[in-house]
Amino acid sequence: MKQTQSIFLTGYVTIKIEGHHPELFFDLCARNGIFTWNIKRTSDTVCQGNVRLNDISHIRAIRRNTVYKVRFLRKKGLPFIFKQFFYRKPLIVSLLMSVLFVFLLSNIVWDVKIKNVHPELEKRIDNQLNQYGIHPGALKFTIGSPGEIQQKLLTDIPELLWVGVTEKGTTYHLEGVEKTVVEEREDAGARNIIAAKEGVIVDMFVSKGQPMVEVNDLVKKGQLLVSGELGRKNVKEEEKKDEKKQQAKKLVTAEAEVIAKTWYESKVNIPLEVNYDVLTGENKVKHYLRLGKYLLPIWGFKNPDYDQVQIEAEESTFNFLKWEIPISYVKQNVQEKNIVSTKRTKAEAVNDGIKQAEKDLQNILGNNATITFEKVLHERMERGKVKLTLYFTVYENIAKNQPISQGD
Amino acid sequence: MKIWRKHIGNWLAHHLELPSDVILELPRITTIGQLHAYIENHKGLLLFSDNELRLNMQYGYLKISGKDFVLKMMLPEEILLEGTISEIKFIDNENKER
Repeated sequence: MKQTQSIFLTGYVTIKIEGHHPELFFDLCARNGIFTWNIKRTSDTVCQGNVRLNDISHIRAIRRNTVYKVRFLRKKGLPFIFKQFFYRKPLIVSLLMSVLFVFLLSNIVWDVKIKNVHPELEKRIDNQLNQYGIHPGALKFTIGSPGEIQQKLLTDIPELLWVGVTEKGTTYHLEGVEKTVVEEREDAGARNIIAAKEGVIVDMFVSKGQPMVEVNDLVKKGQLLVSGELGRKNVKEEEKKDEKKQQAKKLVTAEAEVIAKTWYESKVNIPLEVNYDVLTGENKVKHYLRLGKYLLPIWGFKNPDYDQVQIEAEESTFNFLKWEIPISYVKQNVQEKNIVSTKRTKAEAVNDGIKQAEKDLQNILGNNATITFEKVLHERMERGKVKLTLYFTVYENIAKNQPISQGD
Repeated sequence: MKIWRKHIGNWLAHHLELPSDVILELPRITTIGQLHAYIENHKGLLLFSDNELRLNMQYGYLKISGKDFVLKMMLPEEILLEGTISEIKFIDNENKER
């Protein structure tokens, strides 16, 4: 019965044979290698049976040498269903249209919901989203990913501390946290100020507390700079005389800025030859449809004749109802780049090294520190690189708070 | 000559335990109750109607009778018959009964 298994796919025809001893026609077919089945004798001179669609031409050839009459009764199978289906064009068109319509509707933003922010900020977020093109009725694949929206919102609305964007089907949910200015707690408790680093004091601005060092003093790391115990020296002197007075010493929260000169040594390696990429500004945008692994170009077929390229790709997915379909739209921006290699002299390299080290140091110390370059302690050439040991002096605030233990 | 060959074939089938349908070119008939009859190695269809099927064999013909006969499958040397089988009869050429 193997022969009849996939017969529906290839199609078959019921034929009717008329003539004297019609069953012999089927015997003839069998001799010629044509497979027939479900053969019935309906009357004395009539026989009917099924043959494969592919064998119809052979049947015709066989019939030509005989006296039988062959009639086709029923056509069955997929090829005939297809044929019938394509006769009804309006049906197909409307079916396609409806699928397309549902597809389109599934890729439209229906709602944007903003939560957890006060109405004023909500309005601003809404306006900002409108500028990005996110509003009910917008096509979803022109909008960036939720992550991108988050980034943009955070930079454009500084009042937002955090914003969470989630995409749930056709609605965007936004949840925001506002920045609230928390007033610094006034009562920080009694504390001293000690040195965070070793250095020579250049300037002191003490707003509360008793200074224990003077300008031009060399202080060590951890040394007491400003005391939170007012009249500490006095107490010490009087200690022997009246111990009970110690209880009376007044504790305050020391507040001061102590600018000191500190020293830093840093090591940098500067190569004499540098390669870096420069975008020329020439670019070409390509559009693709992605099916699993394959990229199907839909616009921008030509490859631009750039030697070196940098490709940026953006991808957006399509939805059908609530499902994500495995086709996505990819926009590639192919940019031409040049690799520029420059050679520097040793002097230039040293200069660049100093600048770089200064920049690195500034990054670590923050904007309040003033860095002045002192000198190059050590300089060495090695495998096309200049190794430098540099010496900097920095004016910075070395004040560090240290709470006074009240001993309870 | 024919008889001689038949004897040799018989001897071979008997003593070498070879399947006799292959050696002697005889039809092999498999029936499932009254419902099906599967005939292999026949030599052509002679007659088929609602209640009778005749198949050619090397020596004579095979007659199957019953009712509601349908040929479920037909290949050059195989036939699957469906219906209600009541009788399977071998008829030799030499002593024709009809």
